[in-house]
Amino acid sequence: MKYPRNLSALACSVALCITSHSYANDWSAAVAGIQADVIQPAYNNLARDAQQLQQAVAELCLAPTEPKLQKVKQQFITNIDDWQQIQWLNFGPVTYFMRYYAMEYWPDKKGITRRQLQGLSKTPEVMTDKDFWHSASIAVRGLTAIETLLYHPDFNVIEHAADCHVLTGVSEHHAATTLEIAKQWSESKVGDWVFLDEDSNSSPDHGAMELFVQQWIEHLSAIKDSKLETPIGYNGRANLKLAEFYRSQQSLPAIIENLATYPVLFHAGQPSLYELAKRNDGPQAEEMDRLFQQSVSLAKALPDDFFSGSYSQQQRVELARPLVQSISQSQDKLVELVTSLGFNIGFNSRDGD
Amino acid sequence: MLSRRQFLAAGLALGSAPLWANLIGSREGMYVSAFSSDGNHFAAGFNDVGNILWHIQLPERAHAPVLHPTQAVAGFVARRPGFYMDFVNVRTGDFLQRITPTQDHHFYGHALFSHDGDFLITQENHFPTGEGKIFVRRWPSAEVVAEYSSGGIGPHEAVFLNSSTIVIANGGLRTHPDNDRDILNLDTMAPNLTYLNWQTGEILQQVKHADKWHQLSIRHLDVNQHGEVVIGCQHQGEAWEQVPLVAVSRIDATDFRYLDMPEPIRARFKQYCGSVCFDKSGELVAISTPRGGFVAYWRISDHQFIGVDNCRDVCGLSPSNESGSFILTSGTGKVLNTLVYENHIELITQHASIRWDNHLRRVTI
Repeated sequence: MKYPRNLSALACSVALCITSHSYANDWSAAVAGIQADVIQPAYNNLARDAQQLQQAVAELCLAPTEPKLQKVKQQFITNIDDWQQIQWLNFGPVTYFMRYYAMEYWPDKKGITRRQLQGLSKTPEVMTDKDFWHSASIAVRGLTAIETLLYHPDFNVIEHAADCHVLTGVSEHHAATTLEIAKQWSESKVGDWVFLDEDSNSSPDHGAMELFVQQWIEHLSAIKDSKLETPIGYNGRANLKLAEFYRSQQSLPAIIENLATYPVLFHAGQPSLYELAKRNDGPQAEEMDRLFQQSVSLAKALPDDFFSGSYSQQQRVELARPLVQSISQSQDKLVELVTSLGFNIGFNSRDGD
Repeated sequence: MLSRRQFLAAGLALGSAPLWANLIGSREGMYVSAFSSDGNHFAAGFNDVGNILWHIQLPERAHAPVLHPTQAVAGFVARRPGFYMDFVNVRTGDFLQRITPTQDHHFYGHALFSHDGDFLITQENHFPTGEGKIFVRRWPSAEVVAEYSSGGIGPHEAVFLNSSTIVIANGGLRTHPDNDRDILNLDTMAPNLTYLNWQTGEILQQVKHADKWHQLSIRHLDVNQHGEVVIGCQHQGEAWEQVPLVAVSRIDATDFRYLDMPEPIRARFKQYCGSVCFDKSGELVAISTPRGGFVAYWRISDHQFIGVDNCRDVCGLSPSNESGSFILTSGTGKVLNTLVYENHIELITQHASIRWDNHLRRVTI
C-alpha cells in the first residue's frame, strides 16, 4: 500500500483552515469524552452482559428448565439494550471481521438465520472445530441468531439438546467477540481508527468527530426508515416482521434506547459537542437538545404493544407520525449544527449515483 | 435560450482544429465538472492550478460533463432522473443551449459525442416500460436520428470502444420519476455490460455477472487504448455480502475478469464505486469510492492492486497530462494531483464552499 505520502498542501481556503484550527484542542477533548463516557462504557457493558448471557446459557443447557430459560431471555434482552446504545457507531474494532453486521443480522427478509441454524442443529458438533467461526455465516453469529433460537417456534432449547448446543456455541462466540471489541477499545485511541486524507493538515480527532457525526446522522435515518416507517408501512405496504427484534418484542424498546443515547452523546466530553455548539450559536444548540429530548418522550409515549398489538396500518401510521417528524427534524438540525461548526458531512458519499 | 444563429456564432463558428488550444490560450489543461454550493447547482471550468475560469448556474444537480471533440462545447447532464442537458461554451462559460429528453424519457447523467462530433449519444430510461434506451441526436440541432435498446435496464455510463462501438453499463436498476430514485426491481435486477454498434443498434456482445451477483449494479466504466474495459460496480444487496466490485472486460470475452484487492480495502469500499478512470498511458486504472473515502489503483497489465489514496468524499477522477497521474476532486471542495508510482499526492486547491460532483473531465489539447 501507498503510505506514508509525501505531502505538499499548496493552498487551503482561509475560512476552512480557521474553522478547523480554532477548535482543534476542543475537538480532542470532545472526542476523548465520547470515547470515555459513551463508547468504552457501552462496549464494556455489552461484553460484561454477554459473558453473563453465556453463563446463563451454559446453566440452561446443563439441565434445561423453564425458569432457567426465562433467565436466559432476560439476559438476552439486556444484551439488546447494551447493543442499542452503541449501534450508531460502525467504526473501530467493531468493523473488523464483519463484526458490526454479524452482531445483528437484520432485516433477515429471507429467513436465512432460521435456515442456517436448522442446518447447524443437525450437526452441532461442527461448531467445536477451531476454524468454524472464521468462515461461519454472519447470519448465525450474533443477537439475531440467539433471538431465533430462543423465540422462533422451530427451535426448542429445553426439549432439543442440539438446539441448546447451537445456542451455547453462538452465545460463546458472541461473548468472545464483544470482549475482544471492548479490549481493543481499551488499548487504543479514537485517532488510531481514522484514515485521514493524504494531504490532511487536520487532526485525527477532528476526522473522528466528523465520522461520528456522519454515522450519527445515518443512524437517525435508520431509526426513522428501517426501524419505524418500513415495518409499519408508513409509505407503503406494512410488514411487521421487518421490525427489529420483533420476535422478542424489543422493537420499540430498541428505538427508545437508541434515541436516549443521543442526548448522552451530545453532552459527552468537556467541552461537549453541545457546549461547542452553544458557543457558536446558543439557540441552535438548545433547539438541538430539545429535539433529542422530544424524540425520546414521543417514543416513550407510544403504546408498549405498538408493534405487536392489533392496530390497523393507518392507526400505527398516525401514532408514529409525531415521532417520525421529530426524528426528521433532529436530523436536519444536526446537519445544520455541525455544518455551522465547520464539518463537512459528505456530499458524494451520502448521495451518489 | 440562444437562437440557433446565436449558438452557431458563439460555439460552432470558432474555427477548426486545434480549437481547444486556441480557445484556452496558453493554459496547458482545463477541467470541467458540476458542483453544488449552498443548495445551488453549477457547472465550472478550472485550470491546472485549480483556478475557476468560469461557472454557470444549472437548473438542477448535474452528474457528468460531456466534451465535444472539436468544438469549444461541454455539456452537463442532469443526474438521474434527469430532464435537461445544458451546453456551455468552455472558453467563456456562456450558456449555449439546452436539450431535453423526448416524452416519457429521462437522462441518466452521462452522454457521449461521436468521434466526428456530428452526433450526441445519450443513455435514457423509457420510464413507462423501464426499457433502457440509446438515443442518437444530430448535433447541434438535437434532431433524433436513431433510437435503440441499450440491451438492458438502467443504462448509466457509456464509453467508446472505437468510433462505431460504445460500451454501455446497464446498471439494471428500474426506476420511475414518480418514485424519485427508488429501485423498483431489486429482486429481479440483472445488470449487464453491452457492446453496441451505435450506428446500427446491433448488440455485438453482452457480459453478465453470475446469477448470485445479480444485484451488483454495473454503473461506471472506462476503456484504454488496448480495448480493455474496466467496470466499477455498486452493490444493491446487503452491506455484509462479499462481492467483487471491480472487473475487466473485453469485447471478445464472455465473462468478466474480477480484479483482486485486499479484503480490508474491499470492505472499505462500502459496496460502492464512484468513478472509473484510466491514466494517460492506459496502464493504470483508478476507482474512486466516496463512501469509503479513497481512490484505489490497479496496474492493468498484470491486474496488480497498487494501493490507495485516502481522501474524504472523493469521486471525480481524470487523467492528468502525465502517465501514472490523476486529478481528483471531492465533495469537500478539494482538487488534488496524485502521482501514483511516485507515491506523491498534492493538494492543488480547496474551495471551501464548493462540493465537486461525481465526475470530472479533462479538456484535451
